[in-house]
Amino acid sequence: MSTTYRAIDWNRQKRVYDGTLGGLLALGLGLFVGISVLVSPNITVETLLIRGSSVSALLLLHVILCIGPLARLNPRFLPLLYNRRHLGVTLFLLALLHGAFATVQFHALGDENPLVSVLTAYGRDYRVFADGRINLPHFPFEPFGVLALFLFFLMAATSHDFWLRNLGASFWKAMHLGVYLAYGSVLVHVALGVLQSERGAIFPGLLAVGFVVVAGLHLAAARKETRIDRGKPLGEADGYAETCRVEDVAEGRGKVVLVAGQRIALFRHQGRIHATSNVCRHQGGPVGEGRIVDGCITCPWHGWNYQPEDGCSPPPFTEVLETYDTRIQDGRVWVRTIANPPRQHCAGTAVTAT
Amino acid sequence: MKDDFYIGYQDQSPPSLARSTRRLVVALAMIVAGITALVAARQSPAEPGTFEFGVKRSFEGVLQENPLPMLRSVSPDGAVTNYLLVGAGKHGLPAFARGHDGQRVRFQGTVIQKGPGVLVELNDPESFLVLGPSTAAENRAADKSIGEVVLTGELVDTKCYFGVMRPATGKVHRACAVRCLSGGVPPGLLVRDDQGGAVVVLLSGPNARPLRFDVAWAARRVRAEGRLTWRGSFPCLEVVRLSLADSELP
Ligand code: HEM
Ligand code: FES
Repeated sequence: MSTTYRAIDWNRQKRVYDGTLGGLLALGLGLFVGISVLVSPNITVETLLIRGSSVSALLLLHVILCIGPLARLNPRFLPLLYNRRHLGVTLFLLALLHGAFATVQFHALGDENPLVSVLTAYGRDYRVFADGRINLPHFPFEPFGVLALFLFFLMAATSHDFWLRNLGASFWKAMHLGVYLAYGSVLVHVALGVLQSERGAIFPGLLAVGFVVVAGLHLAAARKETRIDRGKPLGEADGYAETCRVEDVAEGRGKVVLVAGQRIALFRHQGRIHATSNVCRHQGGPVGEGRIVDGCITCPWHGWNYQPEDGCSPPPFTEVLETYDTRIQDGRVWVRTIANPPRQHCAGTAVTAT
Repeated sequence: MKDDFYIGYQDQSPPSLARSTRRLVVALAMIVAGITALVAARQSPAEPGTFEFGVKRSFEGVLQENPLPMLRSVSPDGAVTNYLLVGAGKHGLPAFARGHDGQRVRFQGTVIQKGPGVLVELNDPESFLVLGPSTAAENRAADKSIGEVVLTGELVDTKCYFGVMRPATGKVHRACAVRCLSGGVPPGLLVRDDQGGAVVVLLSGPNARPLRFDVAWAARRVRAEGRLTWRGSFPCLEVVRLSLADSELP
């Protein structure tokens, strides 16, 4: 919950995370280089670098895209999500290595500026229709790599919470959804590039499997979310909406419910039920899937804290989550459909033994 | 149960979660290993060819600028070797070596070689010396004329093909081939036979002029008609007609 641009705290878990990332990268790159040299003894160092970095980058991109939905489906994946920023920055560095080497190798030392040549060497290939035929197999592939690299750069450069703050959460979020555009761009880059030169079904096959896994996980996660949203409407009376049973909210735990079409987080802390917005002020994580830790609601994504009584982050932090009045009626939790004024103290509703 | 809630800024992850995270990492390692191994193993093997980058050798012989820049070297035992000449980077015969057609020259350069075909990259202007006019013996044509042919193949740049670049053909290399051809590297036609054999035929224009062509045809299949001659270890085609092959778009 940093409010200023300061050095990132380094703790043991972060070191373990980065060490694991480094180890997996070394494993992938090492295997790639070793096997390439075996099956292709004439391969050059430049080609090994270009291909090794791009293959690792593409794999890492798939991991990054899968972690989000996996964590929504099963909290066991949350430890992979916490430092996802490091994955994004690493992805950018790998993609930069690949793009820079490819640009130097294929464009430098010629009669045109390499950065211009990347886009212009293909000349008339940009015409989608040529001679009444579709020109796709000849359509330039490198510009799609350039676009993806640019997007990875934007996201890596703004990944620190400082930028999340300064750009505003919704703009930041929208910009970081650019990862899907970048993914699409990389798929086109590979399909129009290396797939036009390499024969055999293995490369298109792997890309297709990757796409199906990414898309499938996103659909499954979305399905789980909409199951909450599609819950059958319960009672509504004098500004309160009926939600779950009291027993559904265990002590120290949260639960996501639907109130007037909106997801709300319920928590039970020291025998009292509290209701807050489900959208974390940090990156919009699902607060209701969190826990009470040391008396504070704790977001499952990066552990931001909010006090259940007023939705405020404990000092010195200044974030505020909306709170809602609650009441208990016939063993069910009812939540007021209109939020309390920010920071207003709200004691919650005591659960009496039933 | 409260134990297995993960908070990243704590120093330790709860033991039960740590165990499952370790299992996840092992699974991820297996996926990473499997996929990278598969991709590495299935890439098509790089072509042979050497580029003695950073190594310079001495060459002496008769410089021929047109239609294809070559050095004809006669060794003391009378053996004749033709070297195709290119410049540094993505360039053809450099300016310092031009204008000396038919003269004896000596220079230092870097060898690019694939099979019997040897190219020399002229990258050392200081070493370039004009020694004087060539002798009659050196000028005796040792070329072997084959006759009129029609060949279809991929338009490549000879410098990359003979050893500088992998891959040196096809779409991923197309932009590079455009740059090299546009920079004056001599064009070649990569002709393949049914048995998987391949040969690059150097292309020149009629009347001992360099070939005039559209560099946008780089890495495309083109059809070339003309007279074929062996000049040393290089088959050379004096092109009278050049067109995109039927299978290509304009
Ligand atoms: C400036 C940007 C980029 C340029 C100029 C570029 C250029 C190239 C070139 C020339 C190839 C063919 C190389 C070969 O087969 O030897 C290639 C392949 C590839 N590129 Fe890029 N690329 C760029 C950005 C990216 C980005 C951001 C990614 C994302 C991960 C990416 C992923 C790949 C992959 C997976 C391949 C196929 C494997 C390979 O051949 O390396 N590229 N790229
Ligand atoms: S989204 Fe990051 S802590 Fe909630």
